[in-house]
Amino acid sequence: MKLKLLSKGTYGKPLCFLVIMALLVTLPYWSGEYVVSIMMLILLYMAMGQMWNLMAGYAGLLSLGMQAFIGIGGYSLAVFSTTYGLNIFVSILLGGIFSLIFAFFISPALFKMSGVYFAIGSWVVAESLLLWFSNWEFVRYAQGINITSAYQFDTVDLYYIALVVGVAAALVVYLLLRSKSGLALMAMRDNSSAAETLGIELYKTKLRCYLISSFMMGIIGGAMYLYQAYILPSAAFSIGWTVAVTFMVIIGGIGTMEGPIIGAVLYVLFNQYLYQFPGISMMILGVTAILIILVAPNGIMGTLHNKTGIEILSARRNVG
Amino acid sequence: MKEILNVDQLAISFGNNEVLKCINFKLHENEVLGVIGPNGAGKTVMLNILTGILKPTKGTITFLGEDITKDTIPERCRKGIGRTFQVPRPFEKMTVYENILTGCVYGSRISEKEARHKALDILEKIKLSDRTKDFAGKLGLLDRKRLEVGRALATDPKVLLLDEVGGGLTESEVEEVLDLVRMVKSQGVSVVWIEHIIKTMLEGTDRVLLLANGCDIVCGCPQDVMNSKEVTDIYIGCEC
Ligand SMILES: Nc1ncnc2c1ncn2[C@@H]1O[C@H](COP(=O)(O)OP(=O)(O)OP(=O)(O)O)[C@@H](O)[C@H]1O
Ligand SMILES: [Mg+2]
Repeated sequence: MKLKLLSKGTYGKPLCFLVIMALLVTLPYWSGEYVVSIMMLILLYMAMGQMWNLMAGYAGLLSLGMQAFIGIGGYSLAVFSTTYGLNIFVSILLGGIFSLIFAFFISPALFKMSGVYFAIGSWVVAESLLLWFSNWEFVRYAQGINITSAYQFDTVDLYYIALVVGVAAALVVYLLLRSKSGLALMAMRDNSSAAETLGIELYKTKLRCYLISSFMMGIIGGAMYLYQAYILPSAAFSIGWTVAVTFMVIIGGIGTMEGPIIGAVLYVLFNQYLYQFPGISMMILGVTAILIILVAPNGIMGTLHNKTGIEILSARRNVG
Repeated sequence: MKEILNVDQLAISFGNNEVLKCINFKLHENEVLGVIGPNGAGKTVMLNILTGILKPTKGTITFLGEDITKDTIPERCRKGIGRTFQVPRPFEKMTVYENILTGCVYGSRISEKEARHKALDILEKIKLSDRTKDFAGKLGLLDRKRLEVGRALATDPKVLLLDEVGGGLTESEVEEVLDLVRMVKSQGVSVVWIEHIIKTMLEGTDRVLLLANGCDIVCGCPQDVMNSKEVTDIYIGCEC
């Protein structure tokens, strides 16, 4: 009954979002520093999940190389804000722009591949960046850079930055799905060959997704390294980022907007818990993923949707 | 009558498998051309070439006087070639209405707002008005076929290529399909209709083309083709 009110009511949904937004905005005033820092991580991972999901879940671009943009974003922050003393937010924005430019120039080559080849190709690109940065004097080789400019922020500041980035990422995807392109994206997700015979330009649509994701990933990388405050090529360009994001989105439900949100909450909370089991934590994570997929093959949100038709963040077109 | 589509010496091979050797036919304005032929004759392959999914090894396709052999799939759709798939390919996690809307918005390049009216109109015509809000993945076979036709119709085609819309349906359902094709024709659209259920199809077609052994064997008015020696030979043993 409650669920019905939420999903059908005209005012139920907006009201619900207002309450959630109010809770998020006021979080530092009524909870402790630990909770705030956890929420910050959830928001950043959720943002990454939205972007990876936009590519893998809608455009059919299964990327294993999103860490390329986390790295570019992180290094832009480090270099521009510490080495050149630029404003922090400008540095983060530059990270997004450099990611976008980089994505634009590698896309003709990457888009010649599809499926598994695209996955491997995008991974190779990220690995090449890792090698390049590890051997680049300008970024102090593999020793990394201490992002001293980030010291001016406390946990609450970082949380608000993450909140802006997280909400922006979700909003970008939501607005995209509500726009005309949204129909093309959902059609492509469900059946790309049928979409093409209806006049949808697959290449253009995919490229648009890729560029949006890359830009946003660069920004998210900047925000993430504002928190980490120390950047190393081996960590910034690590496949670990993509593994975490893949885990989240698949658990939460690929090709849905809620999937990355649910996935991020579970992933971050679970990870906090797993700190107690160093060494076997990755194993536990893997086994959990397999168990969830066995019970809910389309991820939590996908399976729930198939069974009950429920959608929280819906881009549905109403008739008439 | 005005000529809409002209297929000239079309051929395609997959490795050593010469599926189509030399296909020639013309389609006229507001005409329904039935295509028959045994399983594996290459009927679906021919549609795939016409819509740009497969590249022919030889031959040209002329659509409204323009050579479209090199056009991409979306370009051909926008020029006015619509199609259905032998096994329906609905957008399962979108609603019936959204399926049609997508065809309107991308195929005939109008805004979503303008497309709404048109989508509802098409839903009426394909008798799916009462299922607009259902997810396409939940539809039964007949409704999937209807949606397939409606979605193609939404792109404002001048030619609609139908690949066995009647396949797998019961006898009464096939009658519904016949109505569907007649409705399409009444919109002024020309149709190429591949079908195995010949009896029903003959009622709705102006001409019939027999495709076998990679060639267009005979083409003409339905009675003549069905009574021809070639059809008897191919359908009743003695594969020449
Ligand atoms: N992409 C492809 N690559 C290689 N061979 C193919 C391809 N598509 C079709 N073929 C071959 O072409 C032949 C004709 O297939 P097609 O599907 O066109 O037959 P059809 O006339 O539509 O038959 P049916 O009535 O069963 O639908 C078959 O032998 C098939 O194996
Ligand atoms: Mg076929």
